[in-house]
Amino acid sequence: MVFPLVVTDAETRRRGKVLVGPVTLHLAGAAATVIIGPNGSGKTTLLRLLHGTARLHAGSITWQVPMDEVRPMQSFVFQRPVMLRRSVVDNIAYPLLVRGVAKSTAVAQAHDWAKRVGLHAMSDRAATSLSGGEQQKLALARAFITDPQVVFLDEPSASLDGRATAEIEAILQAQKAQGTRLIMSTHDMGQARRIADEIIFLRGGQVHETSPAAPFFDTPQTDAARAFLKGDIVE
Amino acid sequence: MKWLLCAVTLLWKSAVQAQDSLRMAVTTSFHNSGLADVLLPEIQKDLGLEVQLLIVGTGQALRLGQAGDVDAILVHSRAAEEAFIAEGYGTHRREIMYNDFVIVGPQEDPAGITDATDAAQSLGQIALAQAPFVSRGDDSGTHKKEQSLWQDAGLDPTVSGDWYRAVGAGMGAALNTASGMEAYVLSDRASWLNFANKGELALLFAGDPALFNQYAYLPVNAQRHPHVRSDLTARLEGWLTSDRAAALIDGYMIDGEQLFVFNAQTSD
Repeated sequence: MVFPLVVTDAETRRRGKVLVGPVTLHLAGAAATVIIGPNGSGKTTLLRLLHGTARLHAGSITWQVPMDEVRPMQSFVFQRPVMLRRSVVDNIAYPLLVRGVAKSTAVAQAHDWAKRVGLHAMSDRAATSLSGGEQQKLALARAFITDPQVVFLDEPSASLDGRATAEIEAILQAQKAQGTRLIMSTHDMGQARRIADEIIFLRGGQVHETSPAAPFFDTPQTDAARAFLKGDIVE
Repeated sequence: MKWLLCAVTLLWKSAVQAQDSLRMAVTTSFHNSGLADVLLPEIQKDLGLEVQLLIVGTGQALRLGQAGDVDAILVHSRAAEEAFIAEGYGTHRREIMYNDFVIVGPQEDPAGITDATDAAQSLGQIALAQAPFVSRGDDSGTHKKEQSLWQDAGLDPTVSGDWYRAVGAGMGAALNTASGMEAYVLSDRASWLNFANKGELALLFAGDPALFNQYAYLPVNAQRHPHVRSDLTARLEGWLTSDRAAALIDGYMIDGEQLFVFNAQTSD
């Protein structure tokens, strides 16, 4: 098990400017941590920092096992996933092929995942021809096929319609129920309420408030969190 | 002078008592390697020939050749070179030497490309991780190679999001941008070894035959451009394919590492 994830005074910068930090967090136990906050508060950057794709310039981020062992146990789903110019099933199989899994095994598992995310009927279609919602479901299948312990998701249903969002959330809930640790960002407070076990409220690149989800939504502790939940503009 | 108006960098080399002079367009990667500084004085010494270099990307070098602004070109993009010959802009194509491309990126290698089985897979992993990637984006030989590798990976990164940054600049500028952004970048090995501002970048992937980087010499066709000094381009070609050039090219090293391998069919 890679958790708990202990973050101590972590900071990332670009050209000398602090983008996120210092951030101190202890992530364990909860099945889904949702990062919320105003635009520009650093949600995506914090996800990348935890994932290891943004450089840690100060502080520490410590998993239970060394980072090179953590990397194969995590996946990242982006708001705009990259589609390889090949079929749906070959896109889903790709992470397994990269890991040296035999093609027949990888493709069989990919078909299984295509079914689980509702893309089975279009397994042989070019991935680039899928709709936005279908591409995001493909991205989820591609993220989950390696059986990761933790999946980072950066606003996975942004700009999707209600039906596609519901389908995405159903996949996430199913994976969460199976024990996959989710760490995601969202602008959608309804989605945060539906998925989160734990909330990180980010403001100005720093953790402004963090707590279990229910008390956060019922009784936020800070003025900024209360204003944000009310829909007021918070900078 | 069209090539001056195009803001091409022109280096005047060894102007002392040159009896003859020849203009040659070369790639930024060749110039950044430092090999020109070794070869040009020896050419001057052996042939009494001053070679003026116009340092540009392969695409621009070919255009200079098409316009007759140079007497010869030394570039590294086979398909484009063969088209140049087929269209009659050059007399022939002569392979001189090769080095290789390498993929450079942040030392932590967030996309995990060091374990990739080939270059296309490396790029695939960078794309799926949406890790920042700097592209030359300047129609150079390096840019053309990068595009062919993306094609092999089944990707069109230009429509895939803001992780892919085309800088429209030479190898040194692209490496500097990658260093500043802690991004991945495709570089020829020589430019990478010569690059002083490595910062947190490291060489992460190399060795795939697809990364082979062949340099070829193409004299411009004097039948199209009568002012082209075909007598001089022939003398230079003879020298570039000689045992003397072979020794200098194979012997050129940075930090003990050989940068180029001479592979011309020798003249004699």
